[in-house]
Amino acid sequence: MASKEMNENVFMPKEAEILRIEQATPTERRFSLKLRDGATLDYQPGQMLELSLFGYGEIPIGFASSPTRKHGFDVVVRTVGRVSSAINRLEKGQSVWVRGPLGNGFDLKQMRGQDVLIVAGGIGLCPTRSLIQYILDRREEFKRFILFFGAKTPKDHIFPEDIDAWRKSKDVEYHETVDKADPDWKGNVGVITKLFGKTQLSPQTRVVVCGPPIMYKFVMLELEKLHIPPNQIFLDLERRMKCGIGKCGHCQMNEKYVCMDGPVFAYDQIRNLEEAFG
Amino acid sequence: MSEYFLRQEDLPRFLQSLMAAVPVVGPVAKKNHFVFQKLSSPEELRLDYDVSLLPPKKAIFPQTQRLLDFSPNGPKSCIAPREQVLFGVHFYDIKAIDMLDHLFSENVADQNYLANRHATTIVGSSIQKISDRAFWGSVGKNTQPKGHDAFLTKISGGFHFKALTEKGEKLTSHGQFSKASDAQSKEAKQVNEEILGKCPQRLQHSAEQIAQKVRASFKNEKLWDELAEKCFSCGSCNIACSTCYCFDVQDKWNLDQKSGHRTRTWDACLTEDFAKVSLGAGGATENFREKRSHRFRHRVMRKTAYLNDKLGGPACVGCGRCSEGCVPDIADPVKIINKIMES
Repeated sequence: MASKEMNENVFMPKEAEILRIEQATPTERRFSLKLRDGATLDYQPGQMLELSLFGYGEIPIGFASSPTRKHGFDVVVRTVGRVSSAINRLEKGQSVWVRGPLGNGFDLKQMRGQDVLIVAGGIGLCPTRSLIQYILDRREEFKRFILFFGAKTPKDHIFPEDIDAWRKSKDVEYHETVDKADPDWKGNVGVITKLFGKTQLSPQTRVVVCGPPIMYKFVMLELEKLHIPPNQIFLDLERRMKCGIGKCGHCQMNEKYVCMDGPVFAYDQIRNLEEAFG
Repeated sequence: MSEYFLRQEDLPRFLQSLMAAVPVVGPVAKKNHFVFQKLSSPEELRLDYDVSLLPPKKAIFPQTQRLLDFSPNGPKSCIAPREQVLFGVHFYDIKAIDMLDHLFSENVADQNYLANRHATTIVGSSIQKISDRAFWGSVGKNTQPKGHDAFLTKISGGFHFKALTEKGEKLTSHGQFSKASDAQSKEAKQVNEEILGKCPQRLQHSAEQIAQKVRASFKNEKLWDELAEKCFSCGSCNIACSTCYCFDVQDKWNLDQKSGHRTRTWDACLTEDFAKVSLGAGGATENFREKRSHRFRHRVMRKTAYLNDKLGGPACVGCGRCSEGCVPDIADPVKIINKIMES
């Protein structure tokens, strides 16, 4: 074995500069990052990375931007624990450390030339934004593009300027709902599955689903009613992805390692796994 | 490779010479148990051990391992393997290390493990005393011990030494080895074959039958609830296991609060928060294996079914350490499997 290979440490991260920070919601910040060594991260929409700050640790996080945008890459960090809190205290110009890209992204080959529906709930909009941007940047490669987004309240809109643009855009059929409205909200109220009543969908549609664990079961029932076959449905799953290389065991779902075999799975790959949907 | 004979009285001098050249890790007595540790004298070595408290994998995959050192100047890799001889490893633990070799190499190779593994020469040894909870005679019969460099078998008057690799062959330069006679080779073979029938505990079914039935019992909640009823979720069964390799990664500061290290430590899927994630503000969490019976089930699935395709057999070698380590004594794979097979 070559000595270079022998010494290559899979846990060695690369340094990235924070180019821009935006306080998206009271608990979420969006970071635009660029590798300090000038290299480009060669990733696919739906893949993830381990984001870290030394002394605090690493967290798994999906790319929230498309590789078609060349400025660098975006991630959204929600303040939930020690690592995310520390990262969310950083300022522009400081460094974070990244390891990736990791895992499998969305099957773009399956989606090209087809109708695509994205169903995103809450923070599930972040990893799917990589695909949303990708489709919008290469709009001619896809047929209909439908986006369902559900948030808890209108204040939980993570990408308000994106959402504004999607509302007006002719390139995406955008439907949204909130669980709880505020006095200014004029749109839909209720769970995300209500949006299935707002548009016609062909059984040929390729569907991407990402959201809180509870959401999947109910969305799958709707897709079944529409006769969309399981191999056309892609789920972006969340688990405790610690090492990101299919070893440490924390993200296991039956025999699958979500970090490596996923985080994006075709529904037919996992529909019979008892631990996939709890 | 060749087969040798070493007289009983020549073992200490062989070890002495070996220890002068390279650290030797082997089984030594600790109160009324045995542990693998670096030998400080040849007399310490106890080849008559029944089973060690922790498996010898710890010499390659330590309980705590530095992955990176960090400072304001950035991170530095901690991969710095040191040559060692792991001496006196029973065949079931050789099988376990071979499984770990495969698991740490597949897909994304982890040099934090592999570099240590490459720097380790493994010398197996025959089992002279059998642990009460051992069932290595009836588990995973399709997988053979491999990956070791030499194997030592206690025979009349001394030891039969079978060199299996260049590294193993080289060890003989440290001692008064003579060519083994046909009779000595035959005796060694017989010793290692006969011991297999002497295990006190026994599985009644083949690995394939067990894998199929256990996997098919996944949704039998009542069965798992019963099996896990007395589980403390302490993870001792994982920590004692020779094939468990799950780990946690944590950062630790040095006293200067500027530098520190990123380390990994053995982790246990039986513990409550193993699969728990934080969801959002207000401490909301999602535990993907919230019930202890589900965590208990996960371990049994891992040991009997999930990894079988990758490893060519179950990820259990029958050492019996989990049975011994479990306070309420509910972790014994023989009892668990036999109960599932009867269900």
